[in-house]
Amino acid sequence: MQDKFKLYQPWLTLLARLGLGGVLLAAGGLKIGNLQKSAMSVRAYEMLPVGLANFLGFVLPWIEIGMGLLLIVGVAVSIVGLLGALTMLAFVVAIAQAWARGLSIDCGCFGGGGEIAPEETKYLSTILRDIGFLLLGVYLYYFPKGKFGLDK
Amino acid sequence: MGSNSSGDKGTRNLVIGMISFIVVVGVVFSLISNRSSSTAAVPATVSEADGYGIVLNPESTPTIDVYVDYQCVACKYFEIINGGYLNEVIAQKKAKVVVHPLSFIGPESVLAANAVACAADENEFVDMNLALFQNQADQSNTGKWSKEYLAQLGKSIGITSSNFESCVNEGKYVRWTSNVATASGKADVNSTPTVFVNGKALDREAGEYGDLAKFRAALAAGGVK
Repeated sequence: MQDKFKLYQPWLTLLARLGLGGVLLAAGGLKIGNLQKSAMSVRAYEMLPVGLANFLGFVLPWIEIGMGLLLIVGVAVSIVGLLGALTMLAFVVAIAQAWARGLSIDCGCFGGGGEIAPEETKYLSTILRDIGFLLLGVYLYYFPKGKFGLDK
Repeated sequence: MGSNSSGDKGTRNLVIGMISFIVVVGVVFSLISNRSSSTAAVPATVSEADGYGIVLNPESTPTIDVYVDYQCVACKYFEIINGGYLNEVIAQKKAKVVVHPLSFIGPESVLAANAVACAADENEFVDMNLALFQNQADQSNTGKWSKEYLAQLGKSIGITSSNFESCVNEGKYVRWTSNVATASGKADVNSTPTVFVNGKALDREAGEYGDLAKFRAALAAGGVK
């Protein structure tokens, strides 16, 4: 069992890197074409002061792209994995508080976002998905060394 | 650690440097390009103090701010339900109405906002506003709303001046639409339509957007007689 994990671990790390890195790159890339919408979706969570929410809306997509690229090429995997997990944790908290407070918003995860009709909200599936990516990030923090990475 | 570990380290640092550079340049560019531009051409009635919205009846009170995106389906229904009454309020100067055309749905929203601003300069805002909603495409950014189409649409409702046509075709107020968007962000507008009466947002849950009687009552509560 132990030996088997040793054999598969670098490949699992590669898959986790491509999974988390790919989703971060896609999430950031889909937002940079419409940053006003990105800012709007952060504001719609009603968690942050308006100025800070707008700033985050403009900045976050680039951070996501940066983390995604680093994970895909396999650089600084441990620390970026941890940062990715923390980012996902922040998303889970933000979505959960929106759900608990009865806001009807789109998560804005891949562009989109803002207030929507109550029956269109998808809080549970979004939270479960983000927890999945959070776990990938945690895995990468503990097992950063994988196949085809620049980290040695 | 292999014998070439220093070379690997160099490559690794180079990659980190390049990716950091992309992120920093992206952030700086995004923050700068989404600031309000003081040099953008703005329609005649527009001022920064009114959030760059198009102002109708500047002397009247109370103030009603309306945020729409011309490609937003809910905005079309808002227009169908409440537009007639709102136009009556405008025509009878019962309120100062400030319309903020947003463009977060995409490029055709920008062209539509530009066109309605061009119409506002010809004192034809109300008719152009209605014509846009009446000719909204079934989906967003289908290519239906080209500059030529919008110029023709204006002409078809009687805006025949050459100024209007060139304003639409040149995209005279395209840069202004970013100012409107930035100001709407500062006003914490997160969806369309959004209406404020004297700074107080209508209640979506209570149906003040989707029911004419409730819309009228909300405006009356804000001082529209």
